[in-house]
Amino acid sequence: MDFRPLNDTERRQLIAALRGNADSNQAILMDRRNTSFIGSTDEVTEDEVINAIKSVPCHY
Amino acid sequence: MRLTQRWQRLHQRWQHRTSSNGAARSLAGLPKPTANGWYAGGDYERLSRVVLTSEVSRTLFDEYQAHRASPRGDEEIGWLLLGVRSQAEAIVLASLPAGTSRDAGHSHVRFDHVAQTLAYRVLRQWDRRLKLLGVVHTHPGNLHRPSDADYQGDSEWVEQLPGQEGIFAIGTSDAPTPPNEYAGVVWHPRPHLQCWEGLRFSWYALVAGDRDYRPVPVEVHVGEDLAQPLRAVWPQLERHAGRLERLAQQLARVQFEIVQDGGAEVLCLTIPLAESNGAIRVWLEEDQVRYLLQRGDEVSVADCAESSVDRAVYLILAELAADG
Repeated sequence: MDFRPLNDTERRQLIAALRGNADSNQAILMDRRNTSFIGSTDEVTEDEVINAIKSVPCHY
Repeated sequence: MRLTQRWQRLHQRWQHRTSSNGAARSLAGLPKPTANGWYAGGDYERLSRVVLTSEVSRTLFDEYQAHRASPRGDEEIGWLLLGVRSQAEAIVLASLPAGTSRDAGHSHVRFDHVAQTLAYRVLRQWDRRLKLLGVVHTHPGNLHRPSDADYQGDSEWVEQLPGQEGIFAIGTSDAPTPPNEYAGVVWHPRPHLQCWEGLRFSWYALVAGDRDYRPVPVEVHVGEDLAQPLRAVWPQLERHAGRLERLAQQLARVQFEIVQDGGAEVLCLTIPLAESNGAIRVWLEEDQVRYLLQRGDEVSVADCAESSVDRAVYLILAELAADG
């Protein structure tokens, strides 16, 4: 196991991600291969995307 | 119910594939985080560019070319684009076909949203960030931009998309002759154009409230089309889409997988049971549907003559409930 301190950029990103998670439910992304932090994102709900798919208009 | 060695082997192969490759597929092909990390959301800017993975770009050209050579080649065709939005970029990670049940003709195309919805559910299991970003469709002549009729629908539809902005590409078959050095290579005569082998995609963006589409530069970065594995099982997916969609809505924790079986890809559905390590597994093969019952390490095959997948699943669940 290799432990090292976060650099300044990584620390800022992690703090921003944790705040986003607490304030607005942003997902914190983890690399499944090594569990490292790889950022955060707005996670849209499945229903929002499915509604958009079902309402794609006819194209001409 | 009877136990067979073949199904035991299939089950073990499925378990091995899930444990060894599942995580890799989920992450494969995704762009690396930028120096500033993934966009944390909130205030979207107008798109400054569209980024396609190399496999998405190839899929669009290959399938457009194959479509033109098919019996329905005179009809319009199209694709849904899924991916992630950064503050000013749309990164396309997956393309979903219009489907063989699409409603299309010489001057219109309406996608089969039932199959596309189910396909999205499968993809979302691999990458929960996927959003709907836009639509590609083709025109039969040389109209390189979305039509006025397209605008009527798109201008309202984009309100549902991230940043209330969508990307729209128009495919035509009138690409200019490339310079000699670009023969056989996808090339960009202008930043919003892609051309290859006589085919051309012209890329635009539209924000809700705008009076017209605007050209948007397109770039290609190396990466997968996350929806490519679904192409191998698309016929089964389409055939059972309505029934599978109902199951996915009605039962919690339904999982979809694509499994290799003797060189063929099989679409599989797993419905966890209340008991630990118990599940019903549905194998949707090209010519038949198989139902497996897993209890711990024991796997049985359910002989079920029911032709509808959802009815068969509920019959098995009812039988299990009766066994109590």
